[in-house]
Parts: sequence; C-alpha cells; structure tokens
Amino acid sequence: MQHNGKLDRTFFALSDPTRRRILERLAHGPATIGELAEPFGLTLNGLKKHVVILEGVGLVVTEKVGRARECRLGPAQLENATGWIDGYRRVLERRLGRFGAYVEERR
Amino acid sequence: MTAELRLERVIDAPPDVVFEAFTTPGGQVAFYGADDPGWVVQSRCDLRVGGLWTVTFGPSPDRLFQHRSVFEVIERPRRIVLATTEFHPDRPSFDFSVEFRFEEQAGQTRMTVIQSGFPTAELRDEHGRGVPSAFTRLERAIRSSR
Repeated sequence: MQHNGKLDRTFFALSDPTRRRILERLAHGPATIGELAEPFGLTLNGLKKHVVILEGVGLVVTEKVGRARECRLGPAQLENATGWIDGYRRVLERRLGRFGAYVEERR
Repeated sequence: MTAELRLERVIDAPPDVVFEAFTTPGGQVAFYGADDPGWVVQSRCDLRVGGLWTVTFGPSPDRLFQHRSVFEVIERPRRIVLATTEFHPDRPSFDFSVEFRFEEQAGQTRMTVIQSGFPTAELRDEHGRGVPSAFTRLERAIRSSR
C-alpha cells in the first residue's frame, strides 16, 4: 500500500487550529516564540511544540536571534497538500456537473 | 488556511426535485458515474438520520473505491450532512465531512457541496488497517450480484 508520509504529516500539521493560526500570523511577518505564544495564552514550551511540528514539514523555519528564537514561514510549501485538494475539487466538479445534467434531462 | 472545499452549481429544477434525485439511485449513480466503458457504480442508501449510504464506484470490478456515509442531518429538501469514510485501493482510508445545500433561486436550485475535515495522519492510519478486508468483502458482494 502506498503511503505518502510527508503528505500525511503536512495534513496533520494543518489539522490543528492553533497551528493554522500560527501560519496565518507568520504570513504577516516573522515573530519570536514569545510573541507567538502570548496571543494564544500558551506557555513558551506549549507554543514550541506546535512550532516543531510545523518545522518538521518545512512550513516554518526558525533561527536564533540573540536570546530569542525567531519563526517565519518556511520554503517548503503546501504544494503537496493543495495538489491533493485540487484533485478532489476536480472530481467534485465533475460529479456536480453530471448530476445536474441528469436532473435537467429528466424534466 | 483550512482544508475545505466548496463548490456550487445552479440546476434548472426546484429544490424538492433535486433533493429527491440526489437521495434516490438514479441521481446517486449519475453523481458517482463516468463515461468510461465498464465503469462500476452501486449505491445503497438508507435515508434517515443515522442511516448508512454506501456507494461503490470505479473503472472496473478490480479497482473500486467506496464511500460509506452516515446521515447526520437531513432537512428535506434543503440540506444533508454526511460523515463519510473513503476507501481507496492504493492508500489508507480517511474520514471527512460533507454538507450538501439545496437553495431555491428563482425556480432553480443552487446546489452547494462543502467538504471539510481532510485527513490527519492518525485517522488515515487507523482506518487504513480496515481497508483490505473491506475490499475483499466488496469484491465478493459484486461478484455474487452479477
């Protein structure tokens, strides 16, 4: 059985609302772990766990800047995940089209 | 970013007609159909909240996909919500949620499909273990019905 581990991990990384909000926040620019943790009411360690998961699939990269660790969006991207969802979109479009034609032809 | 798909199509028929077609075999076979010769579609649908709708489809009896859905919401003729598991011959199965809306619009129907809850690694792994036996059962059922 084929198993796309990277795709699974990317979906897993995106399956959590806090991690999606971290990505949305980083889309506006880099932030330190402390700056990210504060609006979520998370401890530094709690926030770090999410960042490690995002970093593991290349969605986020981190870099030590002075005493803080700065996070920004990573180079790897959602192509894999979005390609998969796009395939689904095409299938659904075709199904809706066939079904609509079926209903209209019967009238 | 959230993994959600939303598509719509305006169908030239009122919502009760579209809803009726979508919940009976003719429309379900059209929805899951294809023009390929030999394409297989079988639909069994127990239209009630908690009821099971099973669709088996694919290019040949040797290569079949299955959607097993439980009806979570049925608001005739406006809305259906399904909890679906997709079984795929090449990869672990996974769960997602689908909502179908049928909105009246000047005598026609705007049909919207919203698919959400794309798989997490855990769900896919968990359901993947059930796939081979599900397909064995499926193939047997199709052979015995021919």
